[in-house]
Amino acid sequence: MSYQQNNYYVSRRQQNWSRNQNTTRYTSAVKLGPVTHTILVALMVAVLGLIYLTQATRATGYDYEAQAIDSQIAELDQQKSELEIENARLTALETIRSSSVAREMTTPASTEYVNQ
Amino acid sequence: MKQTVLYTRRSRIFATILLLIVSIFVVRLFYLQVIQHGHYAALADQEQLKKERIPAMRGLIYAKSDGKPSLLVMNETVYTVFADPAIIKDKQEVVDVMKRVAGGNLRTDFEALLDKTDSRYQIIATKVTRLQADKIKEEGLSGVGFQAVSQRVYPEGSLAAQVLGFVNGEGEGLYGLEGYMDADLQGVDGRLETVTDVSDVPLTIGDRNVREPAQNGDNIVLTIDRNIQSYAEQALAAGLKRTGATNGSVLIMDPTSGEIMAMANLPTYNPAEYFKVTDVAQFNNNAISKPYEPGSDVKTLTMATGIDQGVVKPEDTFLNTDAIEIDGWTIGNATKGKTGIISFQTALTWSLNTGFVTVAQRLGDGKTITRSARETMYQYFHDRFRLGQLTGIELANEAPGILYAPDHQEGNAIRYATMAFGQGLDATLVQVTAGFSAMINGGSYYTPTIVDGYVVDNSYDPIDAPKPVESGVVKESTSDSMRAMMETARASSFGYLDRQGYKIGGKTGTSQVAREDGRGYKDDESIATYLGYGGTDMPEYVIMVSLSGEGRELQGARDALPVFTDISNWIIDYLKIQPKG
Repeated sequence: MSYQQNNYYVSRRQQNWSRNQNTTRYTSAVKLGPVTHTILVALMVAVLGLIYLTQATRATGYDYEAQAIDSQIAELDQQKSELEIENARLTALETIRSSSVAREMTTPASTEYVNQ
Repeated sequence: MKQTVLYTRRSRIFATILLLIVSIFVVRLFYLQVIQHGHYAALADQEQLKKERIPAMRGLIYAKSDGKPSLLVMNETVYTVFADPAIIKDKQEVVDVMKRVAGGNLRTDFEALLDKTDSRYQIIATKVTRLQADKIKEEGLSGVGFQAVSQRVYPEGSLAAQVLGFVNGEGEGLYGLEGYMDADLQGVDGRLETVTDVSDVPLTIGDRNVREPAQNGDNIVLTIDRNIQSYAEQALAAGLKRTGATNGSVLIMDPTSGEIMAMANLPTYNPAEYFKVTDVAQFNNNAISKPYEPGSDVKTLTMATGIDQGVVKPEDTFLNTDAIEIDGWTIGNATKGKTGIISFQTALTWSLNTGFVTVAQRLGDGKTITRSARETMYQYFHDRFRLGQLTGIELANEAPGILYAPDHQEGNAIRYATMAFGQGLDATLVQVTAGFSAMINGGSYYTPTIVDGYVVDNSYDPIDAPKPVESGVVKESTSDSMRAMMETARASSFGYLDRQGYKIGGKTGTSQVAREDGRGYKDDESIATYLGYGGTDMPEYVIMVSLSGEGRELQGARDALPVFTDISNWIIDYLKIQPKG
């Protein structure tokens, strides 16, 4: 196992940007060929694709949940609407007039007004 | 060396073949993806992209009840059940389930419809409720489907039917408020465009999703009070029964705002079952759509014109001979015997035509109804009291009526002589009531209105109080004089019918009915009306009653007045008007 130590001269600008870095770099003796690079790139693309698919699937899952909630809201809205109609029918004048309470009521013989 | 050459040659052949194959793929892909792009994109869209209309909810209509909105017209979702006879597996099961769950909603021939296997769509039941639809769905019938439909619901039944109008099968508002304010009530449909999966579930992926929510129609609150409307309809029905009249209308208006408190017409119909009506005349709101010769009610307007112009006073006198001649035509009184020197108050009390023709003459040179007199009458009747023209009330099919101007060939002296006692002109109840209200409220004309406000986000949002479109229609002193005359006229004959402590005034009307051929009037038919008001210091309500019937000779005092009295005595309590004195 051997390594080679190299010294590089760096420009002033680069020196300014990496002021606190070592000026000595070590290069690995392991060299990656073009095939390896291609495979690595392909793997990275595949991983990114998988991540995209995972996220898209998760978003689609939310769509199903949203759809279910929308359906529930529509169902509840319809039930509310039906109850409002029923309420309106029960409080309609004809219903009130034919109720047992109304049948027992009589017309007042006279009306007195009190000045406040 | 030779092998190398062979190897190279085979490689080249293989590479060429490969290149050819790849070229074929490339060309084919280019054709499909570039040249045919539009076609396949459209096919994909058709499959994946769903476009839906989000229907706007039609606006609700409210009446008022003790000052609060009370629902008159609502929306209900019902279902139309259809069958695909070609794929029904067990017809008997479908028949049994449908009869058990939706027996009353089935088409009479629905069993026969299920046998039409060459058809893919047969409607077998209509107006099925959600609960019924859910029960049918639970049975899992094959070949049976549902279509949601929105329909109008009327919790108060036929109450104010002609005011409301109805909505036809195409969702179009017809007659009444539904017709006049159709665009406001309809709202604007929304739009949904989205990529969906195989189950039609909208997906958020893609950049072409469009969701424009629907704008629901306006929820309108009417000036109509449902309790007053209901009582007016009952009183009118009793009046028709008592008199034998076949048609009747009642209009109740607030004279200080022009707001319609009730507008009743008989015969009526149930708007939920408009399709069962055989006589379309029942859809008409006669109070606004049927001009007629108003008769003696208009004498009050003639008298007000005379007083306002300073040519007569209630206590002024004239010689009544029960007949008066105008341009060779003799005009007589219906009530005979009040001859001699009598006051205009007496003329109003006994509704003597001669008295009001005399007023018309005094608007001119005192002897004839001059052009100047006619122009003055026209100015008051048409321009101030606004007879013979549309009032602008927010209801469909309002009719203008007819009032001839003095420069029209029909606007001659005899025409204006008859107009002085309410004939020779056509006006609607709403026109006469609005003009009368201006006369008794101190001289402010209010446009009759039926819309009181809106319900927005479940909160009542009333519109601003109406303002008079014209003030000074008559002087306040004229208005005071006219109220005093009408209260005297009513008290002299019918005061005992009224509640004590209130100022009730009015005028009877018995109108002749013009013959269809335009030659004079029918001998056996007349329209009875009563136009009056009630309150204490100032009138708080105006009621106009009209009764008619083919071949019926009806009279204002005998037939229409009791309906007015009935409503007037009731409404005093309902409006909590405290007596004075």
